[in-house]
Amino acid sequence: MVSTAFVGLARNQARVLGMPDMPMVQLQHPVGGTQLDSVLAKVDASLDELLSKLASPPISTVAAVSAVSATRSEWIEFDTSDEWGSLQTDFAARGWSDGMLMAPPTEMRVAAMVAGSGLPPEKIIGELAPKMGVATVERIAANAVMAGCRPEHMPILVAAVQIMSDPTFFLKNIQATTHPVSPLLIVGGPLAKTLNINSGSGAFGPGPWANGVIGRAIRLMLLNIGGGKPGEIDKATLGHPGKYTYCIAENEAASPWPSLRAERGFAADVSTVTMYGGEAPHNINDHESTTAGGLLTTITGSIAQIGQNSVECFAEMLVVLSPEHAATIAADGFTKDDVKRAIYEDARVPMSRFAQKNIERRLWRLLPLRYRDRPMDTMVAMVQRWEDVIVIVAGGEGKHSMYLPGYGSTRALTRPILSGDGSPWR
Amino acid sequence: MKLCSPEGNALPTTNMTLVDRPKSLEGLRIGLLDNTKPPVDKIMAHLEQRLRERIPGARPFYISKRIMTQPAGSAVMESLRQNVDVVINAIGD
Repeated sequence: MVSTAFVGLARNQARVLGMPDMPMVQLQHPVGGTQLDSVLAKVDASLDELLSKLASPPISTVAAVSAVSATRSEWIEFDTSDEWGSLQTDFAARGWSDGMLMAPPTEMRVAAMVAGSGLPPEKIIGELAPKMGVATVERIAANAVMAGCRPEHMPILVAAVQIMSDPTFFLKNIQATTHPVSPLLIVGGPLAKTLNINSGSGAFGPGPWANGVIGRAIRLMLLNIGGGKPGEIDKATLGHPGKYTYCIAENEAASPWPSLRAERGFAADVSTVTMYGGEAPHNINDHESTTAGGLLTTITGSIAQIGQNSVECFAEMLVVLSPEHAATIAADGFTKDDVKRAIYEDARVPMSRFAQKNIERRLWRLLPLRYRDRPMDTMVAMVQRWEDVIVIVAGGEGKHSMYLPGYGSTRALTRPILSGDGSPWR
Repeated sequence: MKLCSPEGNALPTTNMTLVDRPKSLEGLRIGLLDNTKPPVDKIMAHLEQRLRERIPGARPFYISKRIMTQPAGSAVMESLRQNVDVVINAIGD
C-alpha cells in the first residue's frame, strides 16, 4: 500500500531492491496526521484491489540495464552554441539542473577534473542512494564541472561520495524523507585554508570561497547519480536553502578544544571530510553572558524545542559554536564533552508541553522506557545520549552560535582526504 | 559538441522472482507488516478485521518493524518467512 505522493519513491525502491514488479495499491495522500475515519475509508475503498493483487500474478514492466551503461560515462551530443540559453534549457529538460547556470562538462574540463583526483576515470568510488547510481570518478568530475568546482576540489568530493555510500550514513533516508535534511560537508585540517574553504565570518555563506561550488557539486551528485529528484524522490515538505549547497570548514585555529577530526583519531596533518545529515542552521544569540553557565543556559534553552526529530529517535545534533562563545565557555574550564553533556542534560522540555497525540503516538510508542507511564512533568531530552551531540567551532567575530538538528538514523562520518596513491593529501 | 552525462545508472541487480501468487486467499496466513509510521498500526488492525470478515479461514499475522527509519531486519523477515503466505506492507506519509 502506497500513499499517492510516494508512488515514485516506492517504485524506485522496489526496482533497486530487485522487485520491480512488486504489486502496489495506492491510497490517496495524505494518510498520516489525518482523521482516522477518513484513513480507514480509504483502506476500505481499496480493499477489493488489495485482495485481488495479493492473489493474482504481477505484470512485468522491467527494462534491463547493461553493465556497461552502469559504469561507463555516457557522452551526449549537444548544441553548445548558446551556453547560457538553450544549453541550460537542455540540461534542465534532462533533469540535471539545480536551476542555476551550469558549466558544460566538456571532454577537456572533465579530463582536467578527473586528473585532480589522481584516480582513473572509470574507478567506482561508491553508489548513491536511493537510485544506487554508480559514482565513477568521471561522473563525479562531470558534476563537479557543472557546479563550477576546480580540479583540486576532487579529493574532497571523492571522500564525500565514499561517506555517502556508507550504509551507516543512511543516504537513502536523507534523500527521500519529508524532513528538511541535507548532507553538510565539513572540511577539517590544513587543506581547508589551502583550498580557500571558509571557516570564519559567514562560514555558512555567502562569499567568494570554495564552499559554494563544493556544496553544489554534492547536491548535483545527489540529484544526478543518487536520483534525488525534488518532489518525486526527494519528498522534503519544505526543504531548506542548504539543499542547494552546504559546506563549511571547522575554524580549528580559533577553537579552544580538539577539532572534530582530532576527536575521531586523525593526525594533525591529515585533512578530513565529515558529512552530517542536518537541518538548516538555527541561531543562538547571546551578547550578554560572560560565563560558561550563562552561555550554556542560552544555548540549551535555544535547543530545547519540541518539534525536532531527535526528540523521538536516536538522531545526532550538530552545535556550531562561534569562537567567542567557545572561548568564554572554555575559560571556565569546560571541555567539549562537558558542553555535550550539558546540552543532553539541560536542553529539555517538560512532557506537558507536547501535544497529547505526540505524547501518545510518538514519545510513549517510540521511547516507552523513557516516557510511558511517566508523570507529565518528566523532562524530555532533545537527544537520547550525550555522545549524539557533535560540537565544532566555526565562524568569525560575534556572539552568535548555531545548532543544526539531525535526522533519524544517519550518523556523521569522517574520512581522510587522500591523494590518488591513497596517502593523505597534504 | 559531446558532453559527459552527470547521471549514474545502478549496477544491474539480480531481480528476485516473486513467489507464485495464490489463486485464492482462503485459509492463508496473511502478514501485516507495520512500518511504525502512524497511523499504520490502526490501518493494519482495521485490515485484520476486514480480512477475517471477507476471507474464509484467513489467518492474519501482525508484526512490526522496530525503527521507522531502518529496514525491517533479519528477525522480522525470518518471522514473516516462517509465518505468512503473503504480506501487506505500506510506504508513504
